[in-house]
Parts: sequence; C-alpha cells; structure tokens
Amino acid sequence: MIATIRSEWIKLRSVRSNVTTTIVAVVIPLAITLLSVTFMRTSGIGENTLSDFVLGTGSIAVLLIGVIGVLCITQEYSQGTIRLTLAATPKRTRVYLAKFVVMALVGALVTGFIILASTTVGSIILESRDVSGPHTGPDSGSAFVAMILMGSLVALLGMAIGTLTRNPPSAITTLVLWPLLVEGIVGALLSLAFEDNVTRWMPFQTGLNSMFAELPEGGFGRWGSLGYFAAWVLLVTVIAERGLKRRDA
Amino acid sequence: MITVDGLTKRYGSTVAVDNLSFSVEPGVVTGFLGPNGSGKSTTMRCMIGLDRMQAGRALFDGKPYSSLRNPLHEVGALLDAGNAHSGRTARNHLRWMAASNGLPAKRVDEVLDIVGLQQVAKKRVGQFSLGMKQRLGIASVLLGDPRVVILDEPANGLDPEGIRWIREMLKHLASQGRAVLVSSHLLSEMALIADELVVIGKGRLIEQCTVDQFISRHARKWVVVRSPQLGTLVDVARAKGMQVATNETTAEFHGVESEIIGELAAANGVVLHELSTQTGSLEDAFLEVTATSVEYHGQSEAAK
Ligand SMILES: Nc1ncnc2c1ncn2[C@@H]1O[C@H](COP(=O)(O)OP(=O)(O)O)[C@@H](O)[C@H]1O
Ligand SMILES: [Mg+2]
Repeated sequence: MIATIRSEWIKLRSVRSNVTTTIVAVVIPLAITLLSVTFMRTSGIGENTLSDFVLGTGSIAVLLIGVIGVLCITQEYSQGTIRLTLAATPKRTRVYLAKFVVMALVGALVTGFIILASTTVGSIILESRDVSGPHTGPDSGSAFVAMILMGSLVALLGMAIGTLTRNPPSAITTLVLWPLLVEGIVGALLSLAFEDNVTRWMPFQTGLNSMFAELPEGGFGRWGSLGYFAAWVLLVTVIAERGLKRRDA
Repeated sequence: MITVDGLTKRYGSTVAVDNLSFSVEPGVVTGFLGPNGSGKSTTMRCMIGLDRMQAGRALFDGKPYSSLRNPLHEVGALLDAGNAHSGRTARNHLRWMAASNGLPAKRVDEVLDIVGLQQVAKKRVGQFSLGMKQRLGIASVLLGDPRVVILDEPANGLDPEGIRWIREMLKHLASQGRAVLVSSHLLSEMALIADELVVIGKGRLIEQCTVDQFISRHARKWVVVRSPQLGTLVDVARAKGMQVATNETTAEFHGVESEIIGELAAANGVVLHELSTQTGSLEDAFLEVTATSVEYHGQSEAAK
C-alpha cells in the first residue's frame, strides 16, 4: 500500500499541469483576499474582516482543488496510463485507496496553505495600513478547520466524479455545475414547495455553508453540515470505486 | 510460461475472443499472429486483467495475473507505447512504475541505460519519436526483470532500424530464458522474429506450431519446368489429371512433387532444361489460412 501511495505521489507531482493547477488554486483565492484588504476603506475594516475575506474565498478555493482531484484520475484515462497503473497494481481497490489518501492530504494541505498565507500576508498588509489587530474573528478557527476539511472532501469528490466520467471536461463541468446550477435550481424549486428550510438538504451548498464564520439559520450546524456533505462524498466514492473495479480499463 | 485456457471475451454482441487456448514456452519467441481485428490486443488485455474475460483463464507459471503481488517482477507487458503521459519525463514515467512495485530509482537508470535512453531521460515523453517511445516501453517492461514478456504489435510504425532493434531485443530476451509473446498482423514480420506461432482468426485459434511447420503446411508449392518439348509433357500430365498452368516457355505443375514430373519426363523421352520446386510467399500462406476470417470482416465492414 505504501508503495502504491508513493507511486501515486510521484505521478501527481511529475506532471507540470498538475503543479500549475495547484498553483492556480492557491494564487486565485490568495490574490482575492490580499487585493481586498489592500483596497478596502480603512473605516470599514473590523475584527472579522480578514478572516471573512479568507473564508469568503473558500468556495472558489475548494472547487479549484476539486479540479486537481478530477485531473489525478482523468489524465490517466486521457493519456492511457491507467492501463499501466492497473497492470502494475492489479488490486484496483488499492489503486483507488492510494489516490484517495494522496488527494485527501493534498486537498487539506493546499487549503491549509491558502489560509496560512492569506491570513499572514493579509495581516502584514493591514498593519502597514495602520489597522491594528486582531484581524481574525473569534469564531474563525473552527471555520478554518471546516475549510481545510472541505478542501479534502471536494478533492475526493472530484476524483470520484473523474473516475466515473473518465474524461476531464465532463468531470470538471459536473463538479462545477453541481453546486452552482443543479443544487441552485433544485433548492429553489423545493423551497417554493415547502416552508421548512429545505436547502440544507442540498449536499454541496450545505458543505460550502460549513465554512461560514456565522452559520445560516436552520442548518445542521458546522460539523453536522460537513458530515452531511462527507456522507455524499463517500457515497459517490463507493460508486466510483465499484465502477473502477468492474469496468474494463 | 504462459497458459491461456478457453479465453472468451465479448463486447456486447461482438465476440472478440472465442474459447482461445494456447501456451507460451520460456526460451523462445512466440509470435501471436492474426489479421487486424482478430482479437490479439483483446486477448492480451484480458491476460493481464485489464479487461474482464467472460470465460477461461490465463495463467503465468500457474498463477492468474491478478494474484501476483508485484506483477512487474513476473510479467512485463507493453500493449501500446503511446500509453505514457506526454507531460512526464522518461525518467519520471519509469519512476512511478518502479515505485508501485517497490523497485528502487537505481533500477530506472539501469533500464534507461539498457535501451539507450539515458541521454534523454529528463526529456518529456511528448517530445519523443515513436521509436523512442517504443524503447521507453521496452524499458518499462524490463523494470522488474520479468520471466514473461508480452508485446502488442511492437514493430508497428517503426522504421527498419527500429524494427531491427526490437527484433534483436526480443531474441536476446528469449535467449535469457524468458517466455516472450509478441503479436503482429504480418507473417513476414513474424517469420523474422518468432520461433513458435499462435495463429488466430475471428478470435479463434487456427493453429499453434513452429514457423517452419506453418509455412511448410500452408505455403503453396509447385513445380516449374522448362523444356523444348513442353507441349508433350503438359499433354501427358493433363491426361493423368494433373493441374498445369502454361506460358510460352515454362509450365507450372500444381499439387505434385518434382520427382513425379522428372520420372514422367524420362518415361516420355522429354528433355528438361529446368525442373524446380517453387514455394509461395509467407503472406500468401497466412492469408489462405485466415481467409475465412478476412472474408468475415470484409462483410461486416461492408454491412456498416
Ligand atoms: N473495447 C471494445 N469495445 C467493443 N469492441 C471491441 C473493443 N475492443 C475490441 N473490440 C472488437 O473486438 C475485435 C478484436 O479487436 P482487437 O483485439 O483489437 O483485434 P486485433 O488486436 O487482433 O487487431 C474487433 O472486432 C474489435 O472491434
Ligand atoms: Mg491490436
């Protein structure tokens, strides 16, 4: 298993487009936060401002990380290496598990790095603008943890969708349209029909909501929301892994 | 040694491989011969567990591929030299494969050396020519020093020098006692590379034999005669029910040995200026044997 994980790690970092995608996933949210704290009126800056900005980039950050998850499997199909991978490791569950471990770690580490870099450099910028700290709100700690876990989960979801579609564009489209379009439309229709807060049953929205500093009313709470989304990711993962095992490579 | 037993693979209603059985011995190159679409690639994919067969089994020294712990140590397979990420360097391509089977990075440099790619080890595969990719593929086959080597149409698209390199490499690998299975749709190519043949058509086994046996069994033979009294000899032969084709100065006698014609000439006082046995080309023999399958595919193409 360790050998398979090492092999997957070499695969991931030895392709320039994977590295580029990772850099983009870091730079875009980082740039948004830093530009915001640079140009915002000082009068409007409060205790939560910096952490709110960082958490506000969470959705974009985790979706970009999801793209890395998509690529780690779809590029094997588009480049034909999946046949070498499965010939080298005929136990397909082991292959999936090794990718799972690598992507979970990469998702968490990249998100963690975004948070660390954004808050550190953001604080320096605010100090240089004579805004005194603290710059992160009291509740931001647990929200940051939720964001790190979301980084892992969305990377794993991207990988699962990629395993099912085997094709980069359709997997990326599914990953992005799911929260933006599908859940938006279904959620809107459901809330027309029911009085109760039904949008909380939308997995991706609920997962993304777990990253808010102040959680929306009537949800599952931070860890409940995260757990609900994780259950969906697990479901798609199980389906994807079974598909990998059953289908011809 | 490889044993394939009753392998059957269907894609929907297409039967790609049909109850195929054959064996591959160590120490020789076994050619896997069949026209395009006869099921060679499918057989090889099923053998190493990439495609799931509906029936039958393929065993490597008695074990199915899926039960091998570190398969690269036992079986080296190259199905398509294009199966490499174009953005990865040759060295990194081999490194992830090596790592997956617990092989050290040192081994990667060794195999790069063997195939003569050490100079371009840090170049990306996307910049490689087909010949270089083929060498990289052979390097990946050699990584685990396997006892069994499987190659799918390795000579396809290569220039004569590349083909010669592959041929020498395969003979070398077999001479080291490995079992080597190599496919091709060209008998002429196989005749140069292989000792044994497994011939298939329409996914079914046609014959397993040596190259020489295959040729002598299936190649057409005829006797050519040149004589000032050709007309006499032809008349006598035809009277005996032999098949004869004539042109101005020679006659071709089909389905008989040269001895018979020689004796016939002597008995009738015919002077011979030439009496020789001719053998048809290898490709003719191959096409004849697989004619039914070619016909079948021709029809199904036309039906589309
Ligand atoms: N993945 C697949 N899906 C459907 N049909 C396939 C697939 N792979 C091969 N076939 C069919 O199986 C037959 C054998 O193909 P193949 O094994 O590629 O032959 P060969 O390698 O001898 O040229 C062909 O009729 C081909 O169309
Ligand atoms: Mg083929």
